[in-house]
Amino acid sequence: MGSGGRFGVGTGNSGAYMTAIAEPIQFEEEIRSLIQARFDAPPVSGGSFTALLGLSANQAVGLLHEPGAGEVSTSAAGLGHPLGCSPIFPSNAALADRAPSFPFFTAADSPASISGGGPSPPLKAEPPDSDSSPSLPVPIEKPRRPAKRKDREKQKAKGPSKKIKTAEEHTEGDQLPYVHVRARRGQATDSHSLSERARREKINARMKLLQELVPGCSKITGTALVLDEIINHVQSLQRQVEFLSMRLAAVNPRIDFGGLDGFLMAECGPLAASNGRGGVSLDPASWSSAPAPGTGLRKDLRPSQQSSTAWVYPYALIDHATSLFGYGAADSVPLNWNQSKTDL
Amino acid sequence: MEPKSCSGDGNPSRNLHPSKPLMAANFLRCLSRIQQTATNSSVGSRSRRIRRAAYASMAYSAGHRRAWSWALLRKLRCRRVRPVILPRRPRIARPQVVIEIDRAEVLRKLVPGGTGMDYCRLLEETADYIRCLATQVRLMQTVTDSISS
Repeated sequence: MGSGGRFGVGTGNSGAYMTAIAEPIQFEEEIRSLIQARFDAPPVSGGSFTALLGLSANQAVGLLHEPGAGEVSTSAAGLGHPLGCSPIFPSNAALADRAPSFPFFTAADSPASISGGGPSPPLKAEPPDSDSSPSLPVPIEKPRRPAKRKDREKQKAKGPSKKIKTAEEHTEGDQLPYVHVRARRGQATDSHSLSERARREKINARMKLLQELVPGCSKITGTALVLDEIINHVQSLQRQVEFLSMRLAAVNPRIDFGGLDGFLMAECGPLAASNGRGGVSLDPASWSSAPAPGTGLRKDLRPSQQSSTAWVYPYALIDHATSLFGYGAADSVPLNWNQSKTDL
Repeated sequence: MEPKSCSGDGNPSRNLHPSKPLMAANFLRCLSRIQQTATNSSVGSRSRRIRRAAYASMAYSAGHRRAWSWALLRKLRCRRVRPVILPRRPRIARPQVVIEIDRAEVLRKLVPGGTGMDYCRLLEETADYIRCLATQVRLMQTVTDSISS
């Protein structure tokens, strides 16, 4: 997950930037270490910690509802954080801001160091402590995924002490990186919702494919607009077919297509050779195997198609198809075709 | 008048139907046949026949695996009203919002054979149909270009 990577950054991957970031991280770690220290004692302060927990969750949500820039900048200014990195660590700064208001932080030199805003010697002892608990990527993560952050804040709080069983104990199982389908909090994981979710994933995958097919569709967000675009594209393609067929009809008399047959046979040799020669010699009468009344022009092509094991296109088939179209038995047919294609 | 259909991605061959040479062969044979047999008919009827031939060659090359090609072939084949009873899948209506247009319905009317499918299948068929249509359009465009040049 990106959070792990980001935390690795805090241990000094890229030099100058990291020194600027290191301070808020150390503040956060110090708060956490203080929480741990407080909890090594008897859990009298459980209530206040829960309150802190509750507030941290609420203020995390509050931070996420506002962009957090205004709030963070004021708190950052108050704490003396470098402004360059303050937008990145809103929870950290605001948390540190709120921490001194709790009774259980007043009895230590921590508020002094928090409000001091400079790297003080007590902070040097923190890194080994931070390394021990790897579940601390919270302050580094951007407020992009609200549910995850809320959850991690709770997880971080629960880490040091097992005695506090808060209501947020049954969080979502989204700590693992490979969970693709996330069960939201309180949602059932029975077969119905699972299959529903699988179906939704399937539909989303198909929509993505469609978006790739239709030009200019990948930027659009929202199913309705994408569907609109798809519909427009299909309609435009059908209109283009009509237009091009009209052009071809106008141009047609000038060109003789007969010479192309040899070229086509050469190109589609392996495909047509198995059926082409044999197909041409077939009697037209043999194709009309349907016991349907009517003209001899109406041939039932389906049994012949089903008899072929592989779907290899027989050349003779299209000869008969074109004869069907070319002779145009019924005048009502073109009208029918037009209507079916053009009405909407 | 009509813009040439060209996909803007870097890999245009991805949008082509795999059986393009087959489609080309079919369509050109249709064209030759139409040209030979109906030289004295009007442009309108010839264009209709050409369009039918285009859809037919599309459907033939797509094969029977696809619902849309199957429906197209059925429509092309049975021109008279025949009492053909085909198994239709139960249609599960999924309205998006009651007030707005149901785009799935619109898509169903556009794609041949779309009325008997569920939404998931409809999307799949639409994708294949779009690919095939795009290939056909490109084919016809190259034919007209080569003719008129």
